[in-house]
Amino acid sequence: MKNRLRVLRAEREWSQQDLADRLDVSRQSVNAIETGKYDPSLPLAFKIADIFGLAIEEIFLREVAEEAAE
Amino acid sequence: MMTSATHNKAKPGLWAGLFASNMAVIAVLFVTGAIEPPTPYILMVLNAVLLVPVIRTGKRLQAERGAMTRAVARYNRRFLSFAAIYSVAMMGSALAADRMEWTPPAMWLLAVVPMIPAFGMIWAIMQYLREETDEYLRHRAVNSAVVGLGFVLVLGTGWGFLETFGLVPHIWAWWVFPAWAIGLGVGMAWPERSAGDAA
Repeated sequence: MKNRLRVLRAEREWSQQDLADRLDVSRQSVNAIETGKYDPSLPLAFKIADIFGLAIEEIFLREVAEEAAE
Repeated sequence: MMTSATHNKAKPGLWAGLFASNMAVIAVLFVTGAIEPPTPYILMVLNAVLLVPVIRTGKRLQAERGAMTRAVARYNRRFLSFAAIYSVAMMGSALAADRMEWTPPAMWLLAVVPMIPAFGMIWAIMQYLREETDEYLRHRAVNSAVVGLGFVLVLGTGWGFLETFGLVPHIWAWWVFPAWAIGLGVGMAWPERSAGDAA
């Protein structure tokens, strides 16, 4: 699943480790989610959304929505 | 800040490869009758010493990759401890069984002594899966365990048929754990697919 994590992180000047510390997960997890290798569970997705003060769908992008937009 | 992962990178794969190839050579020598008990056991136990650098460099690599968690640290400590106890117990039991005459009850004891730390290593892996709170790392470990399981099933089923038709000699069933562990290691080392293919 595609997401805007890298951009959101860059806006706040956070490293992957900074975000990992805030989420209480490993840096590898942040990297895997950010690069789309792993889709987080719903609780973790909500935690990510809370940290950025956004809704889940403003961070994680639905494939269907993308295709429709193209 | 980025870590200096490019400098003097830890290579547990090299040590694990050396360990696995030594095991394969010992197994071939044993199966072909080139070496006889207790020599293969002693060689296997001595080879188990290589698990120490495998785990040490593995820990360094985990830290470099940002994958070191409290559960991983606990797992490393437990697994290494049981592996060390196992090495001593296996060598002790094999030598004792070979050198002396034992009554059947005492033989049971000799068999159980290395079995307990081997169970300990399995327990350490199961505990890790229970204690790991990082869902991605747990997901990777579970996937790798399934790769190990597949490896054991393919090898065991294949060998079983070959044995049934008298094409290969009989081998003892404790091979399943090292074979599974090799599959687990391969699964952990295998890079994850990128977006779209993730399970």
